[in-house]
Amino acid sequence: MQKETIIPESRDNAFRDLIIKMPGGENLLTCMQCGTCAGSCPVSHEMDYTPRQIVRMIQLGLKKEVLNSNTIWICTTCFSCSVRCPRGIYPTELMETLKPIAMKEGIRNKNAKFDTVFADVVKKNGRASEFLLFSKYSISEPGMIKQAPFGISLITKGKLPLSVAKMDDTRELEAIFKLGEENDGMETEK
Amino acid sequence: MKYSYYPGCAQHGTAVDYRMSVEAVMSRLGIELEEIKNWNCCGALHVDDRSTRVALSARTLAATKGLDVATPCNLCYSNLMRANTALEDSDLKNRVNGALVIKYEGNAKPKHLLEVVVKDLGLAKLVEQVKKPLKIKAVPYYGCLLTRPENKFDSPENPGSLDNLISTLGAEPVKYYYKTKCCGGPILITNENLALELAKDLLVMAKDSGADCMVVTCPMCHLQLDAKQKAVEAKFNIKIDMPIIYFTQLIGLAMGIAPAELGLDKHLVPTDKFISKAGR
Repeated sequence: MQKETIIPESRDNAFRDLIIKMPGGENLLTCMQCGTCAGSCPVSHEMDYTPRQIVRMIQLGLKKEVLNSNTIWICTTCFSCSVRCPRGIYPTELMETLKPIAMKEGIRNKNAKFDTVFADVVKKNGRASEFLLFSKYSISEPGMIKQAPFGISLITKGKLPLSVAKMDDTRELEAIFKLGEENDGMETEK
Repeated sequence: MKYSYYPGCAQHGTAVDYRMSVEAVMSRLGIELEEIKNWNCCGALHVDDRSTRVALSARTLAATKGLDVATPCNLCYSNLMRANTALEDSDLKNRVNGALVIKYEGNAKPKHLLEVVVKDLGLAKLVEQVKKPLKIKAVPYYGCLLTRPENKFDSPENPGSLDNLISTLGAEPVKYYYKTKCCGGPILITNENLALELAKDLLVMAKDSGADCMVVTCPMCHLQLDAKQKAVEAKFNIKIDMPIIYFTQLIGLAMGIAPAELGLDKHLVPTDKFISKAGR
C-alpha cells in the first residue's frame, strides 16, 4: 500500500504545542527516532503505529492519526520504553496523557469503555470490586459472555465475592473525581 | 517493625490466597502491618484522568501517620511511587490537597512487601526462620510495575531481589530471560488474544527452564498466569501445568506453615504436586 504524503493541511501545530507541555510530552521534541521504545515494547507488533512513530507524528502535529491510533489503547503500561529512552521521554506517560484527549474527541472502543466503567465503580464505591467491574462491563460488551466459565472458576475458588467491596465512608471521592471534571477530563498543562 | 498497610482491592477478591499468606507470614516474621482505615482504590491503570489518579494515591499517602506504607501489589506500589513524584509539582499538589480531608505532605515512603522482607527485614534474618529448605527450582518473575518506572530497591532491567529471596529459602532461582517482561494482565479483559499471547511466551519459557513453579509479587500477574493458564493451554494447544506461587506463599512453605493456611488450595492450577516436591 502506498503511504499518503503528509500535506500541510493535515498538520495541527496547536496539538503538538499542547502535548509537549503535558506529562510524557516534556522531552518529546528531542526524540532522535532511535526506536528503542518500539524495540522494547512487548506489543508494538499489534499497534497501528509504534511508540516511535507516535512521537514523530506528534512532532508533525498529526492529531487525527495519533488520536485514532490503537497504539494508545494497546499499550500495557509496562514502562519498558520509558526506562530505556535515551532522551528521557516517557512514552507510557504519553499514552496516558493521550487517552483522555482521545476520549474527549469522541473515540470509543473496548478499552475506553472499560476505563469508564472502572472509574465509575471506584467513584461510587472507592474500591474496585472485580465482580461489579466484570458485570458492568459485560452489559456494554456482549462478547464478555465467553468469560462466564472463567468467572465461575474464580467463584468456585472463593476468588470472586459477589458482595460489592465498598469504603466505609465514600464522601471524599466526589471531590477527588471532580478534579478530573474541573479540567474537563484533560490534564492541566504543567 | 511496623508499617502502615495498603492491601489494595485484589486482596479482597481474586488475591484472597495472597492475603492469607501475607497474614500468615508477616506476623511470624515480626512485621506488623496496620491497615489504613477506610482506604480507597489506587485507580490501577484504568482511571484515565491524571489529577484524579494522583489524588487517589495522595489520599493513601496522607493517611500513613508517619509510617512507611507497605503494599503487596505491584500496581498499587507503582501508583504510590508515581504520585509522590507527580506531587513534587506544587500546583498539582495544591489542587489535589483541595480535594483531600487529610492533606498530603509528601513524607510517606511507599514500599512493596518484597522490599520490606528483602531489604528492611533482611535475608540474614529471614534465613533464621527457614525450617526446611525448599529443594525446588523456581522462576523469579518480577513483572513490570515492581521496578518500573521507579523503585528504591532494585534494578528495572535486571532485578535480583526475588532471585536472592528464592535462594535464601533453599530453592534454586532459574535463569529466566523474561523476568521483567509484561504478562499481559492489564489488557486481559479488553484484548484477550494479545494478553494470552504474552502469557504464553512467559509460561512456555518457564516450562522450558525446568522450573517447578513461577514466583510472583503481584495479584494481576497471578490472575493472568494462574487463573488464565487454562485459557492459554486451550488457545495454543499446549500443556503447561505450571504452579504460580506468591513469594509470601514460598516463604510460608519454607517456614513450615501448612499449605492450606497459605491459600495454596485456592489456585486454579493445582499445587499439590509442587507442594509434595517441596517436601511438604
